[in-house]
Amino acid sequence: MIRPGLGDRLAHDVTNRGVTAWLISALLFAFYIVLYFTEWFTPVAATLHLGSKWALYGTLYTLAVLIGGGFMLRRYAHNRYQVLRTVCVMCVQALFAYSLPQFLMFIQQPEFYFSYLWPLKLDYLNPNYLFHLPLPFILWSILGSFLLVPILAIFFGKRWYCSWVCGCGGLANTFGEPWRHLSAKSTKAWRFERVSIYSVLGLAIVLTALMFASYAVGGVHPQLASFTGEYQKWYGILVASVLAGVFGVGLYPLNGTRVWCRFFCPMAALLGIVQKAGRYRITVKDDMCISCGLCSKYCEMGIDVRSYAQSNESFTRASCVGCGLCAEVCPRGVLRLENVTHQAQQLQLVQIQRF
Amino acid sequence: MEYAIVGNGVAGITAALEVRKRDPRAGITVISGETDYFFSRTALMYSFMDRLTLRDLEPYERGVFDAQRIRRVRGWVTDLDAQTRTLKLDGGRSIAWDRLLLATGSRPRRPQWQGLDQVRSGLVNFVSMQDLEACETVARPGAKAVVVGGGLIGIELVECLRWAGMEVTFLIREPWYWPVALNAAESAMVIDHMRRHGVIVLTGESVAAVETDGQGAVTAVSTDAGRRFECCALGVSIGVEPAVDWLRGVSTPPRLNRGIVVDAGLRTSLGAVFAAGDCAELELPGRSPLVEQIWYSAKRQGALAARSMLGEPIQYDPPVFFNSSKFFEIEYTTVGRFPRESGASGDGLREFYFRYPGKDASLRIAERGGAVEAFNLLGSRWDHNRFEEWIGQRRPLEDVIDRLHQAQFDVEFGRLDLTPARAAFKLWRAESLRHAGVPA
Repeated sequence: MIRPGLGDRLAHDVTNRGVTAWLISALLFAFYIVLYFTEWFTPVAATLHLGSKWALYGTLYTLAVLIGGGFMLRRYAHNRYQVLRTVCVMCVQALFAYSLPQFLMFIQQPEFYFSYLWPLKLDYLNPNYLFHLPLPFILWSILGSFLLVPILAIFFGKRWYCSWVCGCGGLANTFGEPWRHLSAKSTKAWRFERVSIYSVLGLAIVLTALMFASYAVGGVHPQLASFTGEYQKWYGILVASVLAGVFGVGLYPLNGTRVWCRFFCPMAALLGIVQKAGRYRITVKDDMCISCGLCSKYCEMGIDVRSYAQSNESFTRASCVGCGLCAEVCPRGVLRLENVTHQAQQLQLVQIQRF
Repeated sequence: MEYAIVGNGVAGITAALEVRKRDPRAGITVISGETDYFFSRTALMYSFMDRLTLRDLEPYERGVFDAQRIRRVRGWVTDLDAQTRTLKLDGGRSIAWDRLLLATGSRPRRPQWQGLDQVRSGLVNFVSMQDLEACETVARPGAKAVVVGGGLIGIELVECLRWAGMEVTFLIREPWYWPVALNAAESAMVIDHMRRHGVIVLTGESVAAVETDGQGAVTAVSTDAGRRFECCALGVSIGVEPAVDWLRGVSTPPRLNRGIVVDAGLRTSLGAVFAAGDCAELELPGRSPLVEQIWYSAKRQGALAARSMLGEPIQYDPPVFFNSSKFFEIEYTTVGRFPRESGASGDGLREFYFRYPGKDASLRIAERGGAVEAFNLLGSRWDHNRFEEWIGQRRPLEDVIDRLHQAQFDVEFGRLDLTPARAAFKLWRAESLRHAGVPA
């Protein structure tokens, strides 16, 4: 019953911004730049009998999630929340984000990723693309984005997606887990986050609107169509390639694993807003916090969990992805992720007032 | 009004922030000889084990103190004069005050072993920031360490030195680990857990003498049973006592007993001088003198002392006792006080204990006169607030067992299964009724 747990990650240069960490970061940056902006991986993929460089990338990505997930499972085997969550992201990655799209292509269907939805994947609400898909795919995209995502987020918070399903979160919480504590904790980072994440969401919404407008009246307004095309291209380069890929993963060893999710992901922004209005929260057990700071240190979103814990405040933060590591590392079991019912919230409010 | 606070631990800083919250115009000075900034003492071990940096131990961002206009002064206080209302610091500085709070905490209890006066290095405590530094210098992978003392800090130090790769022997004077809080079975579980972590645990044996080399470095300890343990690091954690020695020689010492004697308003014999936290000894009407030496009580007393200094009529009434800890991986919650005569029958005392087979988890609940009095829970998470409520409501044991799930605080999907505990309780109850001659 000896638990590996957190280990001593501040002692190692790989996990504490040492030379090796910088080297890995540089390699990741180089990898993503080559992947997105050159065709150097195409012959490599061909040699390996993989259809394209993207298939090669998908294979590497899935392997990273599965291998990292294996370590994650070993590290937190005693915590069933972590075990179930990790098994879930590993399965989603291996099936919905890897095998199924390959299989769809094999049976002459479009390559479709059921685990990604608008506004993370803007194409899935781009009428020019969407309406050429088979009907079930169209329904999945529309109902998924506008019903499934918000409803689940109201009941369970954004974690159902960000920590249980999403591939970005999946990579962060498996392969990237040893770097989670490197997330920026400063007030400056928080101020930046508030502006940056909603800006990207704004860009995504505007682009979607443009795509619909251009679909409807692009024929008679060619400038609109060409502007939308340019916008789409630059959004793709800036957001999907640079922010999600190059910076998002490249900065893992230096700035933690959720740079993309925390500062830029439009899906996270939207889910965060829903989360604030929903049932998910982190419940703080009154008067039991010893202010050690492990929760804040190991929060990959840079939330100062301790400030809530030491002042007996249960809380819901829009950015919280519900990974549950704060509760795991707390040596006094002060924190608990919960989906509280409305009545329970009311009851607690009454108790606070009475107190 | 000028408020001076001696000690920047949890009691002192909580008091400072509370004064500021209630009086925006107060002048507040916090004096510490230990560190520039408040840190979480209970988390020292996580810094040692490289899970947190020293900076991470600070519960508040550094800017908070300037923003809250709390002056921080680094230095040791050498004199307290209640007549002129001044403090003198080493280096000759002096600080004037209208209200003074003494929150100097605890210091390690000193052992009485032969050869102790020869020791120059290798002996460490684990209470202060300076102790942490000392521990880091004595820890050497592969070398031998002995830790003496069977309490909470002792096991933390054992965990730290084990982590550092030392061969650790844990010497416990009592017949089992931490008898003031754990029963023999609970202790056996914890000791077994420690052994699985590679710790050599010896009970019922106390140190008689320390051996040193020519330079005064610790080389071995020998016990009263005549055994000798070589070691280059000797951890001593045989308890803490209020840090009040410095007050014995000052111009106007407050009344001292074990700690600084205070009334229910946390006021010392000096009137405008208050004390809170580990260093305070409460003299409350109808109760025996009480020194509370845990994080939670210090925080509570700090907040109350602030209000008392501001002139509020405070009557401190210590709530139901609770505490928490973690023994390597075993989490521990306790609420209430177990009757000393544990296991005794008569006067309606009953105690239910259940150990989960094959798991480092157990629960123990005591009832007296038909009302639960105390809980000891190991290896799972519980909300102590529910237990406090139930103790306050004088609920019977049966009722508490029925509603036990309401107090569970384990992670989602990871709740401890209460079925075996409840089944064991039924059997235990039938058995105890049969013994009492009540027909089933």
